Amino acid sequence: MSDRRLRVLIVEDEVLVAAELAWLVEDLGHEVVGEAATSADALRLAGDTRPDLALVDIHLYDGPTGVEVARRIAAESGATVLFMTANQKRVPPDFAGAAGLVPKPYSIHGMQEAIAFVEQCMAEGRAMAEPPHSLKVAPAFTERLGSRGP
Amino acid sequence: MDNQIERERVGRDLAERHGENDLFAAALRGACKAMLLADARRPGKPLVFANDAFLQLTGYARDEVLGRSCKFLQGPGTDEASVDEIRRALAEGRALSIEILNYRKDGTAFWNAVSLSPVADGSGAPEYYFAVLSDVSDKREAELALKEAYEGLERAVDARTLDLQTALDQKTMLLHEVDHRVKNNLQLISSLIQLQLRRSAEPVVKEALRGVLDRVGAISTVHRRLFQSDDVRRFDVAEFVSDLIEDLSAGAADRGIRFELDLEPVFVSSGKAAPVSLIVNELLANAMKHAYPEGKGGLIRVAVRREGDKERIVVQDDGVGFDIDNAKTVSGGRHIIELLSRQLRATTTWENANPGTRAVVLLPSEGEAVG
Repeated sequence: MSDRRLRVLIVEDEVLVAAELAWLVEDLGHEVVGEAATSADALRLAGDTRPDLALVDIHLYDGPTGVEVARRIAAESGATVLFMTANQKRVPPDFAGAAGLVPKPYSIHGMQEAIAFVEQCMAEGRAMAEPPHSLKVAPAFTERLGSRGP
Repeated sequence: MDNQIERERVGRDLAERHGENDLFAAALRGACKAMLLADARRPGKPLVFANDAFLQLTGYARDEVLGRSCKFLQGPGTDEASVDEIRRALAEGRALSIEILNYRKDGTAFWNAVSLSPVADGSGAPEYYFAVLSDVSDKREAELALKEAYEGLERAVDARTLDLQTALDQKTMLLHEVDHRVKNNLQLISSLIQLQLRRSAEPVVKEALRGVLDRVGAISTVHRRLFQSDDVRRFDVAEFVSDLIEDLSAGAADRGIRFELDLEPVFVSSGKAAPVSLIVNELLANAMKHAYPEGKGGLIRVAVRREGDKERIVVQDDGVGFDIDNAKTVSGGRHIIELLSRQLRATTTWENANPGTRAVVLLPSEGEAVG
């Protein structure tokens, strides 16, 4: 259970994966504010709900639009974005403003740790530990967090 | 006719100086190579001598060329830059060898290899220019043909390379597509089981589903690892174990179970990655399930090493131990281990470690050449 309740947007076109991820997020003590399967829904929901964290798949119902979704959510709503994808090569070198990526297939534990890590970074303004192996942190996010460890 | 007078005067001069008895002049006149002599001191550098070979080469009569500048050899295809080069060499009084496109009297072109050299007077200034000419059209044509053949070959190689690159790109794209689908499907399977797990209340069902989920998780880890590595044909068992332990460690820590790893890179071919990983997964699940009942913690040691011609994987707990011959394992885990061991031509044995149990997997080594 986390100390801070995050408002989480899930952007995933595979509904069963999205449903399970919603459970997982709620198990961690966070709130799921929306689930989107298309880029249009994702952007609308991000605008409406102003989430703290967006978990974004790259291949959505309307194509590989997740990168652009991430870029706009990060820029316009200020949410922390995490990609979750089976196609890491689609992630651009600048991570489109996302904080990191969780490769699919992720384990429950791996996803929990990834969310816990970014949550702690968001709360403390820096990383308190090494990121878990399930999470690839974006270069810009690492830079923003500065040196690791207390 | 100034030209006529001039020609006669120069001819007389030469005849006086190099008459019938001049051996060198006779040699030049009779040489089989075309030769010219031009007056360096007169404007336009008029020809004062042309041998028979030159007349034969160009089709002119002697009185058509003597007294004229060599420009009459040039034509529409003659390269201006080459003409300039000759002009500069003449102006600077130095020797030059050059190939230039010239024209015969009948208008046909030929490649002319010209060697020019100044003939100095007593003071060192050029008095004449001496030129040796030869028709190198055949050589030029052969060179051109060779160049064309070479360029044709290069084009063919380029086209073939492009074809191969396109084929490779398509294959790579297909591989990525398949990889992507495999991973997404594994994610879907894992989410499905997890959803089912959330909905069931029966402890027995939950335990069975959790066992299946872990096995799918092990296969998922294999696939994440396989396509991350540079060589998709081989798989490092040690890296898999370290990923798996990281996944297990948080849950294990809650129960006071720690891990100690002794890993060195051990490669198996990618076809063996899933069965090997499933065996390791079952061994760890067994140890965690049975070795530490009632919240009793402990230490599980995992070693992955090459030993002689075998790959050796050891999972050893310091727990309560069990009756090896009559033990039941997690959801038929032992049965899975036995089947997969048979598939891999491996042996898996259990022994008492006092305290605890040691499971040893011996896999026939595939050596360095894996594929």
